[in-house]
Amino acid sequence: MIKVEFFGLYRLSYKMKEWTTDASTVEEVIEKLAAEYPVYSVKELKNSVIMVNGTNFLKLRKFKTELKDGDTVFVMSPASGG
Amino acid sequence: MATKYGAYAGKVLKIDLTAKTWEEYPLYDKDREMFVGGKILAARIIYDFIKSPIDPISPENVLVVTSCPLNGTGCPSSSRFNVSAISPLTGILTSSNCGGNFGLSLKRAGYDAVIFTGKSESLTWVEITDTDVRFNDASHLKGMLTGETQQAIGGKSGKLVIGPAGESMVRYACAVSNDRAAGRGGVGAVMGSKNLKAITAYGVFQQPVYNPEKLAKLKKKWVKRLKAHPLTGRQLPKLGTGALLSVMNQKNLLATKNFTAGKFEGFRKISGEEMAEKYLVANRGCITCPIQCARMVNLDGHIVKGPEVEIMGLMGANILNDDLHKIIEWNYELDELGMDTISTAGTIAFAMELNERGIWNNGLEFGKTDNITEVIRDIAFRRNEVGDKLAEGSRRLSQQFGGEEYCIQSKGMELSAYEPRGAVGQGLGYSVSNRGGCHLNAGYEVVLEGLGLSVDPYTTHGKAQLGIMFQNLMEGASAGGSCLFTTYAFFPFFLIAKPNSVMTRIVNFAFPYFGPVLKIVNKYPGLMQVNLTAMLPHPVAISYATGMKLNMGRLMKLGARGFNLERLINTRLGITEKDDKLPKRLTDEEQIKGDARTKVPHAKLKRQYYKGRGWDENGMVKASTLRYYGIDKLDEDPIFKRPIEQDKGRILVK
Repeated sequence: MIKVEFFGLYRLSYKMKEWTTDASTVEEVIEKLAAEYPVYSVKELKNSVIMVNGTNFLKLRKFKTELKDGDTVFVMSPASGG
Repeated sequence: MATKYGAYAGKVLKIDLTAKTWEEYPLYDKDREMFVGGKILAARIIYDFIKSPIDPISPENVLVVTSCPLNGTGCPSSSRFNVSAISPLTGILTSSNCGGNFGLSLKRAGYDAVIFTGKSESLTWVEITDTDVRFNDASHLKGMLTGETQQAIGGKSGKLVIGPAGESMVRYACAVSNDRAAGRGGVGAVMGSKNLKAITAYGVFQQPVYNPEKLAKLKKKWVKRLKAHPLTGRQLPKLGTGALLSVMNQKNLLATKNFTAGKFEGFRKISGEEMAEKYLVANRGCITCPIQCARMVNLDGHIVKGPEVEIMGLMGANILNDDLHKIIEWNYELDELGMDTISTAGTIAFAMELNERGIWNNGLEFGKTDNITEVIRDIAFRRNEVGDKLAEGSRRLSQQFGGEEYCIQSKGMELSAYEPRGAVGQGLGYSVSNRGGCHLNAGYEVVLEGLGLSVDPYTTHGKAQLGIMFQNLMEGASAGGSCLFTTYAFFPFFLIAKPNSVMTRIVNFAFPYFGPVLKIVNKYPGLMQVNLTAMLPHPVAISYATGMKLNMGRLMKLGARGFNLERLINTRLGITEKDDKLPKRLTDEEQIKGDARTKVPHAKLKRQYYKGRGWDENGMVKASTLRYYGIDKLDEDPIFKRPIEQDKGRILVK
């Protein structure tokens, strides 16, 4: 399972601190999130600041970054530090 | 009125507290053109009074409260006024910006600024009106909290008051107007040393602006942009400044355990998100502010002003406390007692480390929170040995107990919550800031290095030049009376709203390499004869309000003039290159062990900064720099020696 934590405006919009899902890439996390909680679209979520186990996903393989069981993904609304 | 410019009241008031007399001070329009208002005008006034080091809590000190031209014009977030003096904490110039209603009321009473000299024999409340100045006995206000004091005075006047900490001359006591503080540098202690418990101002004087139609149109557009911008329209209103805390943690910027780390395990519990969910009752802001970043929170059934990110970090991560309720309580207590939250928290963290190392047994321990409330009161009233020592600030503690290398201050002022080993440009800024370890006077470069954009936080490329540019811009905007958050809208929306886009990534990558271009702009800001009104409406607004001709270049030149003038005053007070420094913990120890990038390469950055500023290697402002900014011959024209200027009429409408 992947633990997803929300920060910034997302935490207020989703009304939850964290959520768990099964996903093999960051892109899949976003797609599943948009499907299960249609507060934001996939397009909007692609503007999130995303950290995978503490590392900005732009320094990894961006949306194609692979995830494994136990990984933590921080999803922060844009305007949360670029 | 001795001014031809709109938006100004046209007079400056000088009050001698020793003799209990008052007179008009002969400020001319040439001073308004050169120094505009706020902290820059205050520096010009103080320049004539303070020629060499003084004891800041003696009657020799001078307290200058300045309004700004945009106060009272209805421009968004433009109610900020300034309080300046020689700081009891640092011994050098301090300027403290405040969003309360006093600046506006002072202008309504007919004054652009008020200067206090001397010392009242007993506790006094000075009442300024459009017809008179009264010296009221304030013995009934003695010992009162800042809220109580304002309530006891009552009426419709604008108020600037101190609490018990100011009366006790805690070196970092603040002054409070409404529920906003002129926080840093101990201006409250200066008031206390002068037996000045409160200043009130009231009047009905309305300053006409130069071009009301154009100003009205600009205000509309300005508000619209601030409301549409991701930072000022969404993030700050929804989460307040506390929104930054989670980001700071992710980016190793959250000062933790007296700046030994940039991350705190318990950050989630002390974040802006947590405050919004559990405590937020309503947003509040300064007069005319569409951003409304202040938080009104529920503290055990009482609605009080919530903490800003700086104290959430410094009274949270930096003392290993993850209890937000306690932070809210301490923040409220500090505002009421009248103490700067940042310096209080920084001093406590340093004392905790001294205790942990067995150097000073003071009862303070990292992670132990049950005695902090009492300690805060001990400080405010200086009511026991520990409180009395803590009331002196961290630098004086290190002079007594040692530990200079981990005493987290610069020029005697405690650093804010941004850990500079995660943003080296911010680190440079802390060290060269005129008032000491202040994140704003530093240039707030951490906004580029992680809080707003993602410019490489470790590179030294361009950091000095970026810092100078942002210092100049913010000084200029502040002199006009605008909140510095209005300068956030300087950043194009896409940079903030689309952090993963190719364009944003290119900008983040390229920013440090703008250094050579900025070098020219910073050296000759007057060359920028352009206006980017949508991004930076401040110079245009000041032009429409006053009739002065300002543009972006002139605003930056104004800011640079102010910064250099403050430096000039500080060098007369003994500041040299040796004082532009950071504690060794931040320059010599890696934040992340094994990663050599994670310490501030200070010597290199400082050399670049001095060059860019036009200072010599000893940190003195070069004669050519003083000439460029027109501040080389101030000694030949002291303001107090001039006659009062005759009525010059007023430009009512263009």
